[in-house]
Amino acid sequence: MLTERMDPESVEFDVRTDEMLINMGPQHPSTHGVLRLVLRTDGEVVTEVTPHIGYLHRCAEKIGERLTARQFLPYTDRLDYLAAMNMNLGWSLAVERLLGHRVSEKTRHLRLIIAELNRIANHLVAAGCYGLDLGSFTPFTWTFREREKILNLFEEVCGARLTYSYITPGGVTADLPPGWLDRCEAFLAQFEPVIDDLHAVLTNNAIFIHRTANVGVLTPAMAIDYGVTGPNLRASGVDWDLRRDGEPLVTEMYEGYTWRVIAPINGRYPDDHPYPAIPKDAVVGDSWHRYFVRMLEVVQSMDLIRQGMEKYSRAVGEVDKPFEIKKKLPKGTAYLETEAPKGQMGFMLIGDGSPVPWRVRLRSSSFCNLSVMGELCRGVLVADVPSIGGSLDIVLGEIDR
Amino acid sequence: MGPIDWHTCFFFLVAAIACTAALAVVVTSNIVRMACWLVVSLTAVAGLFFLAGAEFTGAVQLMVYVGGTMVLLIFGVMLTARGPFVSMKIGAGQWVMATAVGAVLLLILLQAAVKTFGRDDVSLAAASSGPARKESAAAADAALASSTEQIGLGLMGVRADRLSQPDRVLRGGMSGYLLPFEIVSVHLVVVLVGAAYLARARRRIVPRHLSGGLTAGGVEE
Amino acid sequence: MVSMTELISLLPIPAWVAYTLAALIQSALLLVVALCSAAVFIWLERKVSARIQDRLGPTRVGGRFGWLQPPADGIKLLLKEDLIPAAADGPLFRLAPYISFCATFCVYLALPFAVGWAALPMNIAVFFILAVAGLEVFGVILGGYASGSKWSLYGAIREAAQVISYEIPLALCVVVVVLLSGSMDLVEIGGQQAGWFWHWNLFHDPFTFVTFFVYCTCALANTNRAPFDLPEAESELVAGFLTEYSGFRWVFFFMAEYAAMFVVSALGATLFLGGWNGPIPVCEWLGLTPEHGGLGTWINDIGNAILGWIGMKSQLDFAVWLGNLVGMCNFIIKGVLGATCMIWIRWTLPRIRIDQVMTTCLKYCVPIASAMMAGVMVWCYMFPDGVVAYVNRPEAAMEKIETPPSAGEAVKPVFKQVAAMSQPEGSARTMLASPSDAVRGSQMDVRAIGEVER
Repeated sequence: MLTERMDPESVEFDVRTDEMLINMGPQHPSTHGVLRLVLRTDGEVVTEVTPHIGYLHRCAEKIGERLTARQFLPYTDRLDYLAAMNMNLGWSLAVERLLGHRVSEKTRHLRLIIAELNRIANHLVAAGCYGLDLGSFTPFTWTFREREKILNLFEEVCGARLTYSYITPGGVTADLPPGWLDRCEAFLAQFEPVIDDLHAVLTNNAIFIHRTANVGVLTPAMAIDYGVTGPNLRASGVDWDLRRDGEPLVTEMYEGYTWRVIAPINGRYPDDHPYPAIPKDAVVGDSWHRYFVRMLEVVQSMDLIRQGMEKYSRAVGEVDKPFEIKKKLPKGTAYLETEAPKGQMGFMLIGDGSPVPWRVRLRSSSFCNLSVMGELCRGVLVADVPSIGGSLDIVLGEIDR
Repeated sequence: MGPIDWHTCFFFLVAAIACTAALAVVVTSNIVRMACWLVVSLTAVAGLFFLAGAEFTGAVQLMVYVGGTMVLLIFGVMLTARGPFVSMKIGAGQWVMATAVGAVLLLILLQAAVKTFGRDDVSLAAASSGPARKESAAAADAALASSTEQIGLGLMGVRADRLSQPDRVLRGGMSGYLLPFEIVSVHLVVVLVGAAYLARARRRIVPRHLSGGLTAGGVEE
Repeated sequence: MVSMTELISLLPIPAWVAYTLAALIQSALLLVVALCSAAVFIWLERKVSARIQDRLGPTRVGGRFGWLQPPADGIKLLLKEDLIPAAADGPLFRLAPYISFCATFCVYLALPFAVGWAALPMNIAVFFILAVAGLEVFGVILGGYASGSKWSLYGAIREAAQVISYEIPLALCVVVVVLLSGSMDLVEIGGQQAGWFWHWNLFHDPFTFVTFFVYCTCALANTNRAPFDLPEAESELVAGFLTEYSGFRWVFFFMAEYAAMFVVSALGATLFLGGWNGPIPVCEWLGLTPEHGGLGTWINDIGNAILGWIGMKSQLDFAVWLGNLVGMCNFIIKGVLGATCMIWIRWTLPRIRIDQVMTTCLKYCVPIASAMMAGVMVWCYMFPDGVVAYVNRPEAAMEKIETPPSAGEAVKPVFKQVAAMSQPEGSARTMLASPSDAVRGSQMDVRAIGEVER
């Protein structure tokens, strides 16, 4: 009876088979952790995707309410374990905001170098795993090889390779070791040609373009409705980056740096990048653009690191030491969002005069980015589900907290 | 222990497999296993062809019949499997009817087999006869007369049996079965397209705001 | 041609024992070739992928290059627990891997490793290979269905859709060569490409050149190799039809896949790359062909002198054996190179989607292959002696164009038939003579087998 009122286009003729409900995950090679997606499929066509989360829930927020601000730091490492430095930075800045503390200029430059280096590491994992999701194994090993070199640099700095706890409320745990800047510069120099390799095996690859262009198109309105942030938002053509548009505590880190937000405005990226032309099939907001924005951000971060190293070596004084462990938090609320590699990561804490926060709340970017999955995966093929999921670059440690 | 005639051994082995598998097709109720036995039986028949030195027929058997059964298997799985491993229920009446039809068919086949049994195979005899060129040409004609080659050539547009017709005009009208063959092929295509057309389901997409819950924007019958 | 049966009949044993022995040795040899090729390719895949990915791959088992890694893997997998899911259809689940492996193994029967060195020389070897290789998919479908897992079922259905679709363009590509050679006998097809490498079918004309690449695409798709590895797409379907398989059953599927890699490479090599003929006709120069001369005669004299000395009465053609040995090396090298390319492609390209797989098949491979088939027909009609002859003697070729070949002329058999159909009166006799010859030939074969047995 509805048919009469509906336009003819919405009546579909098709050969149908039985619908099937499939669990993709929690043990599945391409759900990027213990995510469970329930797919309702009709043959190869997915009619509905429902993400089920919570397999990695570790009560991170509750733990934060039992520990002092500095003691909670290692737990932030375990949120987005692929970008632990950025998690450290977010928490540290939030605590500093509550305390009304500002770190020295040299510390800010150091934090920027480290955070941007970790952004590169994160985007490398994202690009490599994305290749893996599309069935291409080789870029994965190449990106992990480069990431290992970044981890070596981090290991020199803080002794850890995954969970650093390096950027702490009040400062950093230690200054850079001697000669580190040279090694970092050497890494950047040898890393630059590797990006071209990645463009050769992924970005320019015809099959890659066919698998990603015009797949999972996220319109700007939909992205803003769902609270999608980070490269995913920018790939939809929204010119928004907290490093430029955020709170002063975040933006002051980037003061004096020349850089620009990577987003395809009117379908075009800033022209000064030396990378391949946008394929004609690609639509702003599709998986290809999400991937490409990350690749361009890698280059952007390299530039930022170079500038930061120069500014760091010119800055006078010492880098700040962390607060003492039992530093009392003042009464009040502080909430701060930073531009983590995967999107806007928000930390909130309410102090009550004791060293232990009365309330800790985390706003996860991956959680919001994942929420758009059901919308993007309607009517796609089974093979597109890992493809779209991979292009969103989620990490379950952060979603489940 | 005397000399072993491997050819006969293999013949009986493969024939036994073919017959056993054919029986298994009849008595199995699971549709996929049934198709599986059918494949075994047909493959064994192909093996018989290979044993007889008729490699082409054997390969055709594999390609057409075994390949066709595989497609049948896929359709069996795709279209009938509401749950995994469905079995078919067969009533007593169906058993009786199937047995009767099978018995009649068996009788006809047996009669045909008995009738041809022991008949002197012209072509085989001719082939092994002397090397005289004229004789072998005659043997070739004889072989042609007693094989399916005429039909095959007829399907390709050449009536091999009418080549001796001296009148060119008359012969032109006997250009073989190419046209009927093509008509049958087109007919099969039409049947396939028609089947696909009939199998289409008519469904409407309910706009998201009209349906609630998890099936938002989903599809209804 | 000296066959295994003849060789063994030299020994002082009854004929039927010799026959049995020959059959056993031949099948054992083939099994060894099939299994070794699988093992070597598994090792090669590990090493090549490792090098592509800046790794070392296996380095410890069996020396510096990890030669013994495949047997070590095999032993590990043998010792694994034999798991059959509770939801599986047990007998079919057990049966499936063997079907896949046996189908692939049967194809080795028809592969010509050198002149006459095929386990089962058939005049329709190409057709046999296509028919038997198509059975591998049956094992996969059965395994995927019987596993009782939805991922496996997806893999099976994908395999069915993919392989059954790609058989059409694959067969078309093969038909192009069959048209060219006028024979479905691989030994005949290979023999026609003897000599310098420009006699290979690949360089016969532009159409066969294109056909070769269509063949490569279809061969990749038919063996489920990346970028067409959808049936076991690990990022989508966990492991596709292999999801529930482990231990030695899994090994059987695996060996079938790797053996199939060699089969399609070897078939491609025979059809397009000259089969056992090397790029340079060294064997012809050395007289290692049935025509002999030069070194060949000399080798035969020495060999038969030794035979006589140890008391054998028979004379054997050692030169041709040696030539065949070289040919077999050529053949195997070509097959391995083809498989290496498949490995290289696998570790370079992402996987394509099922709709793109179908698009590639139906919108590109099938029309291109059909067009190439028509092109080859036209080309052969225009230049019946091949492009080389045309380049060498353009005036002769032009003559050919001006006077289309009549049926009586010595052109390739298929054109004889086409010509016969166009002019039925004069040539029908010649046309009909050749098929009935074939019929008679096969009956002679049957006779000959019977005689050997008795």
